[in-house]
Amino acid sequence: MKALRATWTLFAKECRLEFRTRELLTATVVFSLIIIVFFSFAFDPTPAESRRYGPGLLWIAFFFAGSLMVNPSFAREQINDTLDALRMAPVPSFAVLSAKILANLLFLSIAEAILVPVFSVFYNVSLVGIVGRLILVLVLGTVGLVITGTVFSAISAHARMRELLLPVLLLPFLTPVLIAAVSTTISLFGDARELDRTWVTFLAGFDIVFLAASWILSDFLAEG
Amino acid sequence: MKARIPITLLVAALVFFGGFAGLFIAPDEATMHEIQRIFYFHVPLWTAMTLALSISCFSCIAWLVSRRATFDLLAVAGAEVGVLCCTGGLITGMLWGKPVWGIWWTWDARLTSTFVLWLLYISYLLLRELIEDPHRRATLSAVFGVFAYLDLPIVLLSTTLWRTQHPQPVLFGGPKSINHTMLMVFLLCMVAIVGVMILILIDRYRLERLRFELDELRVEIESREMDAQQLPAKQAVPGKELPAKGTA
Amino acid sequence: MSDFDFLFTAWMVVWAVFFVYEISVAKRIGHVREEIDRLKDQLNSQKA
Repeated sequence: MKALRATWTLFAKECRLEFRTRELLTATVVFSLIIIVFFSFAFDPTPAESRRYGPGLLWIAFFFAGSLMVNPSFAREQINDTLDALRMAPVPSFAVLSAKILANLLFLSIAEAILVPVFSVFYNVSLVGIVGRLILVLVLGTVGLVITGTVFSAISAHARMRELLLPVLLLPFLTPVLIAAVSTTISLFGDARELDRTWVTFLAGFDIVFLAASWILSDFLAEG
Repeated sequence: MKARIPITLLVAALVFFGGFAGLFIAPDEATMHEIQRIFYFHVPLWTAMTLALSISCFSCIAWLVSRRATFDLLAVAGAEVGVLCCTGGLITGMLWGKPVWGIWWTWDARLTSTFVLWLLYISYLLLRELIEDPHRRATLSAVFGVFAYLDLPIVLLSTTLWRTQHPQPVLFGGPKSINHTMLMVFLLCMVAIVGVMILILIDRYRLERLRFELDELRVEIESREMDAQQLPAKQAVPGKELPAKGTA
Repeated sequence: MSDFDFLFTAWMVVWAVFFVYEISVAKRIGHVREEIDRLKDQLNSQKA
């Protein structure tokens, strides 16, 4: 209970910090929009091509923007030594980590909620009848992204060139999530508009495995 | 290490005879004929890679549990040698793929996952280069090393989950269709390549161990220089006595 | 390029990769050993 309360308090702090300026959220949405628009300049897709390649574009935009968004999670704690303060606080290290994971999940989900309708308008992809299942896929994929992204943010916070290092560490790691999320989204956008259960299970499995690994290794992250 | 010379000669002999056996003694394969012989180098390279990366992951965990420097040094040695074997495996795979499939590369599940694994361990090595504090470097790279190793089962899983152009496994999980002579040659090449990997791993570990000693020497020299530069203890501030040695 | 050419190239690549790496490790070991010897001499002269 104490850990849950600590997580909630820290999560509320992260939200308060972000919603005061909304700079991270704004930058993430704008960056993703740029990728989505640039894709149309680079490829000029037909409606059929949009349905076929659109899911890949959408997820690449989320992954690139997400990997930039999670970077400040721990990097900004180095200013004024707030990271040391968090370490010395009588809260479990996993509470600190999970608060940041939840905060990143919230911010990225807000960005996705804005971007998916925009994408469907720009690329003429209908979301009618698949919204619920699409949300499930988005949530599972985003959870995988923010769990590993937040952990790697903690790792790279102490390294030189951290802004470049984090995407280098994170993006190859997320390849299975990208493949699974894109495959599921393609089958949702396709003519059959069905949910591929194998990939959904794979995504859920990935999230569980790496959440467990984060929980087990959180003390070492705090010490680093 | 005097035993290294006969061992090195033994492995060199195995490597030579393994290569000779693979190229000239093993029987011709029914569908791919000559080019199939790359199998005798390609598969042992993957085995050597898996072993090296397993040693690296085990060492990462052992470091996190015990904090003994040996394990940190072994972790980086294993990762680097694993990347080396992975590079060899990817190149031999391409040299196999071009005559058989007509293309150097295809983004099928197994090749993609293996390339991702290569990228992951390159980033592990990059991470180690970019963290300066030794203790922090050891701890954080150990955490990342454990995460990266968890990707290995996903590589193996990928051949069953995804459709793939890659030849189906012959020895493990596939139909038992290997000829006896082929099996003997394959085992010989396996022993040779894994043997070479172990020797290189030992040398790479030695290099890390020497670097560690070098760092310790530098720290000792610096601390002696700092001690020598401190003001003599007899110099006192007027009106205030310095505490005697050994008192609070 | 015939199949045998690809096969032979594969074999040479494998041994080049291992051989070049081993040589680079051996060279680096040599440099580090020299540096260690130099620092040990420096340390001994400091103690003296």
